[in-house]
Amino acid sequence: MTLLALTFVVFGLMYLAPGDPAEKRLLSQGIAVTREMLTAERERLGLFRPFLTRFGEWLFAVLRGDLGVSFKDDLPVLPKLLAALQNTAILAGASLALSLLVAFPLSILCAYRKGRLSDHVIGLFSFLGNSLPSFLLSVLLMYFLCIRIDLFPVIATGDFSGLILPVLSLAIPMTGRFIRLFRAELLLQLSMEYVTGLRNRGLKERYIIRNILHNALGHLLVLIGLQIGSLFSGSVVIETIFRWPGIGKLVMDAITARDYPVIQGFVLLIGAIYLLINQLTDVVMKKLDPRIEVRYD
Amino acid sequence: MRKLTLGALAVSIIVMLSGCASATTQTQETPVTQETQQSPEAAASDTGSEPKILRAAASFAYPSLDVHKEYYGWYTSIYGVSETLFHLNEYSEAVPKLAEEMTSEGETWTITLNEKAAFSNGTPLTADMVKRNLERAAKVNSRFAYLGNFEIAAVDEHTLTITTPEVYPTLKNDLASPELGIMDLDATTDFDHAPICTGPFVIDSFVPEGDVSVVKNTAYWNGDVQLDGATFYYMQEDEPKLLAMQSGEIDCYNSVSSAALEIYQSEPENYDVVSIPGARLQFYILNERTLGEEVRAAVNLTVDKEAIASYQAGTVSAANGPFAESTAYGQVSIPATDPEAAESLLAAAGYVKGEDGFYAKDGEKLTLSIAYYAARSLDTVALLMQEQLRSVGIDSELRVEEDPDATYIANGDADIALYCMIADKSGDPLYFINSTLAEGAILNCGGFEDSTCQEMIETLYYETDPQKRANLANSIVQIAVDDNAFGYVGLFNNITVLRKGVSGFAENVPYDFYGIDQNTRIDG
Repeated sequence: MTLLALTFVVFGLMYLAPGDPAEKRLLSQGIAVTREMLTAERERLGLFRPFLTRFGEWLFAVLRGDLGVSFKDDLPVLPKLLAALQNTAILAGASLALSLLVAFPLSILCAYRKGRLSDHVIGLFSFLGNSLPSFLLSVLLMYFLCIRIDLFPVIATGDFSGLILPVLSLAIPMTGRFIRLFRAELLLQLSMEYVTGLRNRGLKERYIIRNILHNALGHLLVLIGLQIGSLFSGSVVIETIFRWPGIGKLVMDAITARDYPVIQGFVLLIGAIYLLINQLTDVVMKKLDPRIEVRYD
Repeated sequence: MRKLTLGALAVSIIVMLSGCASATTQTQETPVTQETQQSPEAAASDTGSEPKILRAAASFAYPSLDVHKEYYGWYTSIYGVSETLFHLNEYSEAVPKLAEEMTSEGETWTITLNEKAAFSNGTPLTADMVKRNLERAAKVNSRFAYLGNFEIAAVDEHTLTITTPEVYPTLKNDLASPELGIMDLDATTDFDHAPICTGPFVIDSFVPEGDVSVVKNTAYWNGDVQLDGATFYYMQEDEPKLLAMQSGEIDCYNSVSSAALEIYQSEPENYDVVSIPGARLQFYILNERTLGEEVRAAVNLTVDKEAIASYQAGTVSAANGPFAESTAYGQVSIPATDPEAAESLLAAAGYVKGEDGFYAKDGEKLTLSIAYYAARSLDTVALLMQEQLRSVGIDSELRVEEDPDATYIANGDADIALYCMIADKSGDPLYFINSTLAEGAILNCGGFEDSTCQEMIETLYYETDPQKRANLANSIVQIAVDDNAFGYVGLFNNITVLRKGVSGFAENVPYDFYGIDQNTRIDG
């Protein structure tokens, strides 16, 4: 139902938004557009049909696995989206893994050494990483790692080395965000009475950390889930700079061209991914803390 | 229910992503095997030297290499793969390429093909193949649908005639359009990925909307090819292009940004920079329905094109008229910028400067609306014009639109309408004149009308002599200039940067659709 409502709203917004895909297409071909040509193109793209008819036809086609053809180049939408989504998934997955790998130990360190030099230094770097615009960060990484140190090529090919710079560009701001968020959650846990109790009972610190992480994990998962969603839809700048043929860039081009079938297909796919991640997060949280299920039920 | 929903979502996403394998393969490189194609290494081993592979950055990439469709022919031309019957040289003249000569008699043009011309597979070019190519282009590209109204006939192996319904003087220039490149329609099996053409290079690998590699056509019909191959990397952003030049990963590219231009110019020992006025024009249309003659003249006397070009840091050259001064049809004269004369004109027309420093007439402040869209630096031009007009006491309001064609161009409701377009598409002035100055033209939204001018435009439709056409065009544009109907601000420079030793990347040609050819070379 959520997906249906989402696609209906987006379909409606595109219907109401200014801009004419038929005109965009004709102008992109360098044609002096006449009223007759515009009418014929609108007819061909089916733009004259009533809103509900168009939405209904699109919906039935989707149920058959057909997302239509692009207004821009007449190519089928589904293979385009899936190829781009796969590339973005690789980028997002690697960035997330790297971020978590760095953010977890550093946030624990910061929480345990609150107010000390290491906390301030890590805090400063996480603040910088989080606040640098991704465009600037990408170019800076390119400049230092490709030109000054000559570690990677500027022009990445499809191999592993081509993945490193875009992953770093996505992972650095995300790591900064994670460190700040995880640190706050861990500090909250550390201030709770059960931690004092555990310490008073003489438990070793590593067992206490395990308890703290277990209790914090639910909230941390929610934070991670939110970041994954934004990774899928927000990597357009990185994809453009590093020539990564992902979904962000595909959709930005589609929005410029008013390519409704591609935009609608994107909304459907990303909506499904968001829902899946939310559902997965709920399931994992319930497994971690059965009290949540009791409360819901 | 939650578990069921979760399961359904997971299954549907996995099913869709499982299709990725096949989807992704579509975006992978398409290796091409053609008989006369030779790997760069093999080509180099023949000569016992390192293969000479040019590496260039391309700002655009497309899903297909079908020469006739959309603008894809521009790219097959840039890659040195496709050729046309005629070729535009650095003076915007259409000179023979696959054709040897072209003569006209009334409505009939006779084209003689170069007898040596042949496709990369060795098949000779015939008049019948050219005829079928033109017919196909008319079918698949709406910009060339008009060719369908022409009667094209292959007279013999190397001669064809084209009969037009009326005298059609610009046919030779039209035939230089890269979309009318000639393909072997019989031998090509995959038009989207591996067209077989006549150029000095053949496609080696092609990633739709990605990188393209070409290798030397060892059977090239027109002599030796200097390079063994070339790779065009799809790079949209300016900064990675600059960094790739600095790291030595690319050898050349065009459309250099002003920031990068400064860096390249500071290192003349490493880079050659070639900048020539191109065919893309920034201009404004003055609304004759809302602005009096004196106000229009005052605007044109105030707008300082040199200052605007200077602000755009080498990416634009101040324009006299719509066409480059190197062309025969780019010879018009415009009055020099003179703010004092502008103020005198306004005063003579009854405008009085108020205490706020702005002119007003009959108690009504003179405020002009300047409409623009945020592309091709028109936002910068609009701001600079506003400043310059303000300095003489003319107030203005800026109005930005996303789609100028559907708004201020269609409605004609701005006092000053900024626009940018390719004024010289194929070495002839008719296209621009017909789009902006003819009665009822789409871009004649300021209401310019002049019967003498219209008569001359109608003569231009049929005049076949190039010199007479140039004279007519100069006279037509001069009328519009004298009437202060337009202001031609700047011509975008075609800026190419080349690593030392690299030459022949169409750096002296004012058209975007040329790149490598048989003479492109890497020395040293």
